[in-house]
Amino acid sequence: MPRIMFYRSKCIGCNICYETWSLRWRLSRTDGKSVLVGSTEKKGVYRINISEEEVEINRHIADACPVKIIKVEG
Amino acid sequence: MNLQNKKIDVLAPVGSFESLAAAIQAGADAVYFGVEQLNMRAKASEQLSVEDIKEIAGRCKEHNIRSYLTLNSTVYDHDKNLYRDIIAKCVEGGVDAIIATDIAVISECRRQGMSVHISTQTNVSNIDAVRFFAAYADLIVLSRELTLKQVAEIIREIKEDDIRGPKGELVKIEIFAHGALCMAISGKCYLSLHSNNSSANRGACIQNCRHQFTVSDKENGQEMVVDNEFIMSAKDLCTIDILDKLSETGVDVIKIEGRGRSADYVYTTVKCYKDAVNAISNGTYTPENIAVWKEKLSSVYNRGFWEGYYLGRKFGVWADVGGSKATQKKVYVGKGLRYYPNIKVAEFRLESGTLKVGDEVLLIGPLTGVVYQKVSAIHVDNTPAESVGKGKSFAIPFKKRIRPSDKLYKLIGTEYAQDYVLPE
Repeated sequence: MPRIMFYRSKCIGCNICYETWSLRWRLSRTDGKSVLVGSTEKKGVYRINISEEEVEINRHIADACPVKIIKVEG
Repeated sequence: MNLQNKKIDVLAPVGSFESLAAAIQAGADAVYFGVEQLNMRAKASEQLSVEDIKEIAGRCKEHNIRSYLTLNSTVYDHDKNLYRDIIAKCVEGGVDAIIATDIAVISECRRQGMSVHISTQTNVSNIDAVRFFAAYADLIVLSRELTLKQVAEIIREIKEDDIRGPKGELVKIEIFAHGALCMAISGKCYLSLHSNNSSANRGACIQNCRHQFTVSDKENGQEMVVDNEFIMSAKDLCTIDILDKLSETGVDVIKIEGRGRSADYVYTTVKCYKDAVNAISNGTYTPENIAVWKEKLSSVYNRGFWEGYYLGRKFGVWADVGGSKATQKKVYVGKGLRYYPNIKVAEFRLESGTLKVGDEVLLIGPLTGVVYQKVSAIHVDNTPAESVGKGKSFAIPFKKRIRPSDKLYKLIGTEYAQDYVLPE
């Protein structure tokens, strides 16, 4: 199953993920960084399994991320 | 020469604890640093955090120097809690001022009783802008594109019109003295965002202006490399040889750029400018000393030097290399193990390359700072040796205490070394 891995600590809160796909990405009002909706965290890396339909848009987001902290696998 | 009596403060860039130690050691009067993502070096590989604020401000107070935090990127609504929290931590930690651009940050500083310095990103270029920001700020960093005549005129008018900041003192003026310059006015650049969705104004500049470019003929597709220059990459600002002229304007503070540069750069630049400022006041600002400082400045990261816009140039001077023209490069060789203070000997482990007697070495550490030294002798397993190879522990006489957190580098001359030969 495809999944997203999000290395959140390096996020600069640029907004592009949320602007592109707000069903999966939000912005935290607490620390200004992005939130990967529905994910679970382990050692600072946020992960979530996604459906095939979500792969393309999230790959596009991963490419657009200025700090390259989003990986889409599978 | 009508030099001012007051001494200019030298403000040092700090992007790591190593740079902080180096800045203190070199005699900086104040340091500036950023944390988290709301500063112009948000993309730096080594990032300081909110938790570091107290430690940095505390160390500065210990050494009787001031600390300023840069919070000068564009901010959005979702950043509100973060910048409020950063400012609160600065108040709590004893940071002396926040370097701000956005009105939201400036007004939040006022709400929390934190002193404000207006960042160069704000592009303050005239006395009326100074007058406006004086209602909020005790110090203003002027636009880097002004001439020294314009700087002097602004300072003259501050005195004449008695323009005071919130603390009730005359508004202070700071200008850039050394380091990277940007092709965009006051750093307001869209290029990196346009090409890579990586906003310079959020501290994520990818510096594609530093590349070489080709021009292509749309009719036949032929491409030409733009000859010999990196047409959007300005050389580095260096004012060591016009520092007397900077001083004559009456500026209060000179800033060294380079939060993204290494601790040895911070040490060398701060030391040179501090020495030069002292030399101006004690009458030893001579061509011979200037040549020595310039040679030292050229040994650390630089893209070649020019004097910026201060003497009236209307157009930037472009770099002729993509990276640094430093006359020396440092190669990592090993890490510190322990120090024997009675005999002034340090023990290291060589993790890469070789080291021999006579080599110039550089030590960098978060508490030790920066130490330059020549290897006068090497002992391996208590036996004198001419050299040491990878994987071995070895001891060398060392003038300063070292720590396990310290890294040892070998200094090697580069192809640019011949460009800077001291006059006889």
